[in-house]
Amino acid sequence: MAKPNFQVEDLHVSIEGKEILKGLNLHIRGGEIHAIMGPNGTGKSTLASSLMGHPHYEVTGGRVTLDGQDLLEMSTDERARAGLFLAMQYPSEVPGVSNANFIRQALNARMEEGKEIPVLKFHRTLQEKMKQLNIDPVFAERYLNEGFSGGEKKRNEILQMSMLEPRIAILDEIDSGLDIDALKVVANGVNSMKSDNIGFLIITHYQRLLNYIVPDYVHVMMQGRIVKSGDAKLAEELEAKGYDWLKEELGIEDETVEVDA
Amino acid sequence: MTEANTVSLQVHAVSSAFQEPEWVLRLREDAWQRFTEMPEPRLEKTDLRKRGWETGTFVASPTGVPESVRHYVNNLDHPYALFVDGHLIEVKHTEAQGQQGVIFTDIHTATLKHESLVKEHLASVVKVDDNKWSALSLALFAGGIFLYVPRNVQVDVPFESVHVFTAAQSGTYPRNLIVADELADVKFIDVTFSPEQKEKFTSSHVTEVVAKAGSRVHVGTADEFAKGATYFVTRRALVGKDAVVEWTVSDVSNAFTVELVEDILEGTGARGETRVIGVGYGRQHMDLTASMVHRGRHTESDITMHGALRERANSVFRSCTEIVKGAVGAGSEQHDRMIMIDRTARADAIPMLLIDENDVNRCGHAASVGKIDPNQVYYLMSRGIPQALATQMIIWGYLHDSVEALPSAPLRDLVVARIERELSR
Ligand SMILES: Nc1ncnc2c1ncn2[C@@H]1O[C@H](COP(=O)(O)OP(=O)(O)O)[C@@H](O)[C@H]1O
Ligand SMILES: [Mg+2]
Repeated sequence: MAKPNFQVEDLHVSIEGKEILKGLNLHIRGGEIHAIMGPNGTGKSTLASSLMGHPHYEVTGGRVTLDGQDLLEMSTDERARAGLFLAMQYPSEVPGVSNANFIRQALNARMEEGKEIPVLKFHRTLQEKMKQLNIDPVFAERYLNEGFSGGEKKRNEILQMSMLEPRIAILDEIDSGLDIDALKVVANGVNSMKSDNIGFLIITHYQRLLNYIVPDYVHVMMQGRIVKSGDAKLAEELEAKGYDWLKEELGIEDETVEVDA
Repeated sequence: MTEANTVSLQVHAVSSAFQEPEWVLRLREDAWQRFTEMPEPRLEKTDLRKRGWETGTFVASPTGVPESVRHYVNNLDHPYALFVDGHLIEVKHTEAQGQQGVIFTDIHTATLKHESLVKEHLASVVKVDDNKWSALSLALFAGGIFLYVPRNVQVDVPFESVHVFTAAQSGTYPRNLIVADELADVKFIDVTFSPEQKEKFTSSHVTEVVAKAGSRVHVGTADEFAKGATYFVTRRALVGKDAVVEWTVSDVSNAFTVELVEDILEGTGARGETRVIGVGYGRQHMDLTASMVHRGRHTESDITMHGALRERANSVFRSCTEIVKGAVGAGSEQHDRMIMIDRTARADAIPMLLIDENDVNRCGHAASVGKIDPNQVYYLMSRGIPQALATQMIIWGYLHDSVEALPSAPLRDLVVARIERELSR
């Protein structure tokens, strides 16, 4: 299969009539790791959610394609089946639906009817991956995210990613609230998946995660746009000098998405 | 006069069809009298004025057993009694039960063969003068079981009554009486099939449970009521010292129903636990009250109600805890949640606490009514699950624990199939 090819061109997104993303461009190919960094309130989660098709976000302009297919025309579940994955900053809790059942339904949704994965094989794979991610085996039968700690939810997102094997994976603040051990486990999970068959977009506020997942490209987001791109060194520079240095260099006073009067 | 005459004919028709003893006929006649004299009740959330109180004509000979019901009972490996339009079709017993002195028979046979037991307990928990429909039940009851479990007998397998209602020309009046003697342990299952549309007749279904000291009774139900008719359903238990009564009640219907599920926690240390699963569709009207009356000291109760409504269904789920003066150290918890699947559905969740005692151990309640959380749907869809399936999974998740609590595998399968049928339309 050809390498994934994910393209975002001049994306504009509004929430409740307020423009949050103001022309964003991004090109990710299989085998690449991109990082988007930026202070809070600059539109990073808006980008992630609108790419996944969250109903709250209205795309007002631009194009998004995965392997040439128009993603914006698709519903959220179609985007997922086309190969897009989003590890959410705040995943929902769904009582009464077990983790294992959820993941199995998600996998089966990708299969033709009658070609679903055998139950035993599924559970073996699931347990294997849970072990890799240091997740207690009992979490398979726990209700989806219900009563999970912050770190458990994040690891559970990575578990889903590794079970679903997406072509483009977006990780939104997967590092927030993790202690260093959990961070390493999560980074390990991502690194072990790295191949030409998957491209990553890693959204983070801090550089710390990028010590463990080394990006090929780093983009800085402010005011709903990418204002600077570079390689891994840019992240280190930001860590050393802070966002204020970049704001000064670019002549930006308020980096957040400004609210029109 | 003419009205009383015609219908008291119906009382006689029922009584002679079952060849009952004279004392039962007299109970029925008295009940009928009360039924005709009692004023029409006024309910807070249910308008009965347009419903009428016609009872139809008693069907003297039953039709055959529908295929789906035959299939269901053939899969049962515990004792059951099958009724069609109030007439007993067959009873299956198992050996263990007879040896232990358990009585499991239809209520009409019981009035002949176990007269003193039935006389002592019939209408002792759901009384003739509770309301108009409790009188109606005693006047016209046809079909239902008598289950008696002697002292210190614990039975693992459940006992089941299966009712099929096919006749369009009559209301339905099953009546179950369950007596668990001291330290007995028993499970009872009550299932109805009524797929056909009905005329606007009034039905009254009654289950009464006497749970003596130290006994445990679990009643699981699966109701399916036909559209058109008015159903009054009364399920009440009298719970003795240290006894435990559980109800796991499920209803998947599009009918007009007024239902009460109640535990009278009479003895010290009595405990009640009620779970309700309600799935309404079409133009269903469901007015359901789960009630716990704490009379004894240190009595405990839990109520959990889950409703999911489609189309133009309209449900009122009331959870009511009453703690009378002197019932010191009582504890009670209520959870009442309703989901409106379609925008056209309506739901009310009403928690009620009537507390006359200062010394209360715990008393919590939570009630909510809402739509399915769109963020949950989005989350499931973001993994590739189509919207319709995502919605179903979330609703299933929310009903899951109560469905699991139903006391037999065939019952769980039946309820799952009924709910699935309504959710996947
Ligand atoms: N669901 C929402 N409703 C209203 N405003 C929102 C919503 N999500 C984000 N915003 C607004 O969009 C802007 C960017 O937010 P977000 O994308 O979450 O930023 P980041 O992830 O970079 O912290 C903020 O001004 C925020 O208030
Ligand atoms: Mg964010």
